[in-house]
Amino acid sequence: MRIDYKLNDKLDLGLFIPTLILFGIGLVAIYSSTLNNPHAGGNFHKQVIWGIGAIITFFIFYSLPTNSFKSLAIPSYIGSIILLLVVLAIGKRVYGAKSWLGIEGLGFQPSEFAKLGTIMALSIFLSRKNTDLETFKDILISLAIGLIPVALILVEPDLGTSFVFFGLILIMLFWKGISLFGLFIVLSPAIIAISSLFGIYYLIASLILVVVCLFLFKKDIFFSGSIFALNLASGFFTKYVYDILSEHQQTRIRSFINPWADPLGAGYNAIQAKVAVGSGGLFGKGFLAGNQTQLQFIPEQWTDFIFCVIGEEFGFIGAVIVLGLFLYLFIRLLKIASSTKDEFLSLTIIGILGVYFIHFMINVGMVVGVMPVIGIPLPFLSYGGSSLVVDMMMLGIAANVFRTRKNYT
Amino acid sequence: MNNSRAIWIIIFVFIAFATLVARLFDIQIIRSEELKYYAKRQQTIVEKIRADRGLIYDRNNVLLAYNRNDVSFFLDLRMVSNKNKIKIAKKFSSVFGETIRHYEDLMDASGKTICIEKKAPSEKSNLLKNFKVAGLFHREDPTRVYYYKDLASYVLGYVGSDYHGVDGVSKYYDNVLSGQDGSMVVLRDAVGDMITVEEKETKPAVPGISLVLTIDKNYQQILEEELNEGVKKYGGKSAAGIIMDPNNGEILALANSGGFNPNKYWSYSDTARRDRAITDTYEPGSTFKSFSMAALLDKNLVNENDEVFAENGKYKFENVFITDAHKSGWLSARQVIEESSNIGMSKLTQKIDDDTFYKYLRAFGFGNYTSIDLPGEVSGMLRKPNVWTPVSKAFLSFGYGLSVTPIQIATAYCALVNGGILYQPQVVKKEIKRDGTIVEQDNPIQVRRVISAATSARIRQLLIDVVKEGTGTEASLENITIGGKTGTSQKLIDGHYSKEFYNSSFVGFFPAENPKIVCLILVNSPTVGRYGGLVAAPIFKNVAERIISMNPGNFENYQSPNQPEGQDFKIVNAGNTNNKPALSQDKELSNTINQSNNVDIKSGLMPDLSNYSLREAISVISRLGLKCKINGSGKVVSQSITPGISIHKGALCVVVCKEPDLVGASVY
Repeated sequence: MRIDYKLNDKLDLGLFIPTLILFGIGLVAIYSSTLNNPHAGGNFHKQVIWGIGAIITFFIFYSLPTNSFKSLAIPSYIGSIILLLVVLAIGKRVYGAKSWLGIEGLGFQPSEFAKLGTIMALSIFLSRKNTDLETFKDILISLAIGLIPVALILVEPDLGTSFVFFGLILIMLFWKGISLFGLFIVLSPAIIAISSLFGIYYLIASLILVVVCLFLFKKDIFFSGSIFALNLASGFFTKYVYDILSEHQQTRIRSFINPWADPLGAGYNAIQAKVAVGSGGLFGKGFLAGNQTQLQFIPEQWTDFIFCVIGEEFGFIGAVIVLGLFLYLFIRLLKIASSTKDEFLSLTIIGILGVYFIHFMINVGMVVGVMPVIGIPLPFLSYGGSSLVVDMMMLGIAANVFRTRKNYT
Repeated sequence: MNNSRAIWIIIFVFIAFATLVARLFDIQIIRSEELKYYAKRQQTIVEKIRADRGLIYDRNNVLLAYNRNDVSFFLDLRMVSNKNKIKIAKKFSSVFGETIRHYEDLMDASGKTICIEKKAPSEKSNLLKNFKVAGLFHREDPTRVYYYKDLASYVLGYVGSDYHGVDGVSKYYDNVLSGQDGSMVVLRDAVGDMITVEEKETKPAVPGISLVLTIDKNYQQILEEELNEGVKKYGGKSAAGIIMDPNNGEILALANSGGFNPNKYWSYSDTARRDRAITDTYEPGSTFKSFSMAALLDKNLVNENDEVFAENGKYKFENVFITDAHKSGWLSARQVIEESSNIGMSKLTQKIDDDTFYKYLRAFGFGNYTSIDLPGEVSGMLRKPNVWTPVSKAFLSFGYGLSVTPIQIATAYCALVNGGILYQPQVVKKEIKRDGTIVEQDNPIQVRRVISAATSARIRQLLIDVVKEGTGTEASLENITIGGKTGTSQKLIDGHYSKEFYNSSFVGFFPAENPKIVCLILVNSPTVGRYGGLVAAPIFKNVAERIISMNPGNFENYQSPNQPEGQDFKIVNAGNTNNKPALSQDKELSNTINQSNNVDIKSGLMPDLSNYSLREAISVISRLGLKCKINGSGKVVSQSITPGISIHKGALCVVVCKEPDLVGASVY
């Protein structure tokens, strides 16, 4: 095949083509999973329309002047916060979470757009000349920028999306060059938070671990003490958040700890997903021949459990191809981020990579049973308009940076 | 710029990627078989295909028993909200006419699953086809229908709650009637709705074989009416009657007074449901003299004209008194039978030795099962000569000192008058498939020759005389010669012969010269009159009169008893007692049964499924490689894929079914 060098130079086909393939595979899987479902019959066509819209969005963000993103950062962050507040006030409650804004029959989730706003705002802050992550103050400011939307999203409550924010904050701080100790300060409360969910003994054990680490870092007693207090607060805060979580999210968390304890209840989705993927075998059962999918054993499979369809109908080979495309996409993004000399753009692209990666890891991990059932979509594949449009928007920014890379080298 | 950090990120991403691939490898390659099994187990269920129970016809192919497609409704209380409970109660109340309160009380029960409506007929259950509430489900629950209710209930028997026969031919031929249940592997979706049938793994049900009885529905009706009439007229605890064809042992009618309705067998006592004609024993009394006389004539020990002194009614024999109802002096052997003299009979019987006499009685079948094809028969009791007392033979000669069942007497009389051959009594004539092909022809079974044809002829003449001028004149009819013998036996109560309670019986046959009918009537403890000649004989006469008047020609000119046997098993609705239409859908249904096999699967075109049954439609759709979604039940009225269009495998075909509007009972 003759490659148009000029086109390849302008548009990063290595970024765009795998994404289109993933979207196409997603369409195939949505078609298969909605074919026999009387309530989801139109979803395939809707997704095609959304896909066209998303590609247009991609090209809009691809063609924008690259330096306009910097000026868009703060307004989009503030806009996101406002939308998150609006959705709490007048949002539509779907599956226990008040996360949808409906405009004339078109629903969208502000939390999806807030990801991009947060990435760009954090990039602005981190790329300031005088930001120093060695200072406790700047770490706290960075965390605050990230955690304000998280707090609003947790109130909805949408646990899954808030995980994504944690992830993107972490990877961006890491990319900025946070020290090992700084990373420890950021990461340890999160670890304490997760271990508190497993029970009091896990919490105590991890707190002891934190004390040991603090001892090894050899900081002064006052500083170490306040870090420990932060960790302690994180543990109790998580417990508090867990208690105010909706019933279905609590059971989802519980079912992760032992899905087989209640196979018809909380662990149902986890088990059915694993059965679907596992029964696919090496080559899969073939398009439209996956009984687990066709017989609707996994509710709303076309959204968060779309990977089951691929695993069941196209087998290990199909699943690994999808994973491979994602891996390629991640490496490609990392390469763009590395080669961009502009720190703001570099951080933005790393943030985007973080969003994709957390979605990918949690979603696929959940389907194959190495992650709890946390309802977040698989980028480009899952049915759903807002996430597809935002994903393509972010890809557009990355492609835009690639297009103008020579200006910044 | 951040090359070291980029490497860290790459390492982290690779670790995550490797974790996912390893996990995929684990569940898709290593544990694939286990998870495939788990998937199959939850996606499929093996469902029993209930075999249709065989039908029961009378000898003229009148349908007596069939199955009705009823539906029972169940409720899983754990799945029903209180709001839905009210909805269900209202809906069921409007359909079935019970009060709302009735259903609410049912739903207050503590059980997990309750039966809210049992065996709802199809016209009612159809009203509920589109009434779908979580937790409400239904199951096919066919009802065995005995169309003529009480008629021939003792022969037919009934089925219990497990749909297996409990009595009568229903029990005796249960294995034949039941057929073999099949099974199918049904693919179900997550909510348990049936999606498609795995055709390869389906084992079709083998429908039960139908029975054609030897019973004649009209004779049966006559016998039952007259027995009940007789009990009303003469009092008595009960009455039993048997009509047999002496030339082959076929039971044409078998009845007990009272009767029971097998459709509602549970509302009758065990006593009422007992077939006394084969399970109750009694002392036969004078009807037994015919057998004694037959033995004497057959051995040439006595001639009809041999005289014997009847002692004027009272005779002391070996310290025991034998009495006669009619006091007589010298009697010929013929007159001993005519007048039914106990004294004469006991004196004549002294001419035959014990062993020979016993052999004759055994040869007639006493003390042994007749092997009739009905359950619960008893053998009665006939003692062996080595335990006889000196008076045993004398008393046996006129029917005391042994016990017999009505069926034994009727069977033995057949041998007595048909030329001397004992036939095994039978109630099933043939076993046929749904299409009328005969599976088994139950030919007459000759047990043995008991007496010579000549002796049989002489006995017939003696018994003709009984009706002409002896104790049986009450049984005589004008246009036909009747032969018969009366019997009156005191009932043995607490070891003493009762002066109050008698068994009055009459066994008759006609046309006497060449008998085609043998009929036994037994009345237990009549209160008005007690002699067989006065109680049972008139009942016999009424029965005989009505049977002959139904088809007079049949009894004037003797013809072969075999009626022409057609293969046409159209159901004849002989009893036009109500306005239900004749049950003739059967034939139409049988035409459609195999149409699903004629569908051209290979053409790749969608066949026209209209008028297919639900099961056939699912079968065809499955074989075409399509998925199906069924709305409603009954017969297909529309389909989402237009006939003649080429098929894409795996496509979904929505099929709408409607229950055919059958008025009355549906036969399958």
